[in-house]
Amino acid sequence: MKIATMKTPDQVIIPLEQHAGAVCNPVVSVGDIVSVGQLIGDGKSMIHSSVSGEVTAISELPHPAGKNVLSVVIKTHDGEKKEFKPGDFSTYKMSRIIRDSGIVEPNGLPTVYKKADINTIIINGTNTWDLSSNEALMLDHPSEIVDGLRALIKSVGAKKATIIIELDSEALQVMRTETIPDSNIKIIATPTYYPPGTESTLAKKFANKKVPRGSTPDDRGVLVSSISAMKALYDALCDGMPMIKKVVTVAGAVRSPKNVLVEIGAPIKDVIEACGGCTGTPVKLIMNGAVSGAAQYTDEVPVIKTTTGILVQTESDINREPPSPCINCAWCVDECPIGLLPHLLYGYADSAQFDKCAELYIGDCVECGMCAYVCPSKLPIVQIIRYGKHGVAAMEAEMEVEA
Amino acid sequence: MTLTISPLPHAKSRESVKSVMWGTVAALIPISLAAIYLFGFPAVKIILATVIAAVVSEIIIYKAASHPITIGDGNAVLIGLLLALLMPPGVSEHIWVPIIGAAFAIAVAKYIFGGTGTLVFHPALIGFAFLLAAWPTLMGAASTPNLGSFSDLLIETGAGRLVEASPALVLLGGAFVLYKKYVDRRVALSATVLLILLILISGKGWQLPYILTGGYFLGLIFLAADPITTPVTKRGRLVYGTVLALLILIQLHFGAYFTGMCFAVLMMNVFSPFIDKNTIPKPIGGD
Repeated sequence: MKIATMKTPDQVIIPLEQHAGAVCNPVVSVGDIVSVGQLIGDGKSMIHSSVSGEVTAISELPHPAGKNVLSVVIKTHDGEKKEFKPGDFSTYKMSRIIRDSGIVEPNGLPTVYKKADINTIIINGTNTWDLSSNEALMLDHPSEIVDGLRALIKSVGAKKATIIIELDSEALQVMRTETIPDSNIKIIATPTYYPPGTESTLAKKFANKKVPRGSTPDDRGVLVSSISAMKALYDALCDGMPMIKKVVTVAGAVRSPKNVLVEIGAPIKDVIEACGGCTGTPVKLIMNGAVSGAAQYTDEVPVIKTTTGILVQTESDINREPPSPCINCAWCVDECPIGLLPHLLYGYADSAQFDKCAELYIGDCVECGMCAYVCPSKLPIVQIIRYGKHGVAAMEAEMEVEA
Repeated sequence: MTLTISPLPHAKSRESVKSVMWGTVAALIPISLAAIYLFGFPAVKIILATVIAAVVSEIIIYKAASHPITIGDGNAVLIGLLLALLMPPGVSEHIWVPIIGAAFAIAVAKYIFGGTGTLVFHPALIGFAFLLAAWPTLMGAASTPNLGSFSDLLIETGAGRLVEASPALVLLGGAFVLYKKYVDRRVALSATVLLILLILISGKGWQLPYILTGGYFLGLIFLAADPITTPVTKRGRLVYGTVLALLILIQLHFGAYFTGMCFAVLMMNVFSPFIDKNTIPKPIGGD
């Protein structure tokens, strides 16, 4: 087994915003006894309790995105456990199942949310840097993942599906064997690359469909999904279990780095503890990988549905070199997965020329962090581009008022 | 527990401006040694004088202007070394010439244009052009090398300038900087390949031995593809390399070999911002 399990935490903090869209409305109140899989938040995507226990608080608490979000705190009960009643999805439509089971992709969007004619499904099985949760899932649950994919193919009427796996991944052979009976599922082996890209870059690279600006791959008949969503789909269809657990890679300065199956809402300090704790003094806790992850200011933040990894860094991992002027080397231009000119955006945003930023498509930046990673001048490109995006938004709002 | 928070990324590559500049300097060491082997003491004198002059003038100018002194990033050393390699060995008898050239390169081409990163013209080429205009007799090379036999690739006995001592060693350093991306691959490769093709197509094949020399390899790899003065867009860099090859071909038509190449590169430097402006890419799937 590649995926370790951990002790159910004493308390889980389940934020009511774990997806792109508005915060869910809580459907439980303080003092309620809830069971595993019970609905606690109702909205664009449902949120369920990951443990059995008592709701002790519903308040604004730290969220991995760096803000405070209305969250349900549940104290785990050891004693009286309410029986879990699996949902019955046999007659539902796929988008309804996905909404009701609270399945979201790692980017926060639901797997199927638009009515569109889907021709091709792309499942991204590649891993980001030191995170390996996708590989671990494929090694441990190959048949479940493929079953989930089969169900998705059938429900959206796709003609073919592609699973992208890295060339050197052990999962490649496992998944090839698993999909032998399916003539419509193809496994593509790819050299390791970063960034794994947006849905649009994947659609272009692996389905040869160009996605125009302002539209999504769905409009071109391509649906991009993830390994974790396929596993969640299988759990929902087969066991009636909503998305309440997530495989998370714990890496960096921890005693035993590994992939752990974590209840949604478990504080990351418990997850790190389950991996033997930190080696040395942790200086940075990063959710979701070294390049595009978010640094956390507290270890109380919970694991949510979009979490794929927790990275612990000590002082020696952090580059605090002061930035020096841009030398126009254009390495950022070479790396940008969507073809922007990051150093120009940096320069214009830094000098508050937001009209120029807008002309250079600053809004298209996906903040993968690759430009700032390769930058020899160590410029905080992503930070300044974010500032530029805010500036452009403010400028456009002002123009609207005037007009 | 005190935790650091910062915007992404939380990992950064090891390459820095320092490693780019010093790496390029390191790539030029073999050819410098070959020049010393071929020309002896005059080569040592020129290299030392130019590099020291470049570094000292940078210290003086930046100190006088109360700017932080940045000689540690290796850019001044690189400019000095490149300028030294463009000199004919005979100039060592008038050692003030390369010294003035290095000071001019730093003061005018680097400092006035805003320092590392904002340059319009390559400082080493500006220094060279200035000296060529001011003391043409001293800057003229004694001989024009051409590829006569295979041994000329390793040690070119007809070398007229320091850099022409060994084409193979310039290429060796060039391969290193191209591999490390310390110079721009698109410019260097497109210009070199296209130039050779153009020469063959235009029926000037007899000029090819004059192109396969250290001076040309240095010009096309280290000077023309210098990251600071080239365009930044992907298409723009190909355009830059292409037009550069055409300009060099025109210079060749009039028999200007080494100097023609240098002026072609300087001319292209002017067009860098213009090319950038007209080749701004549309983001993926652009309309």
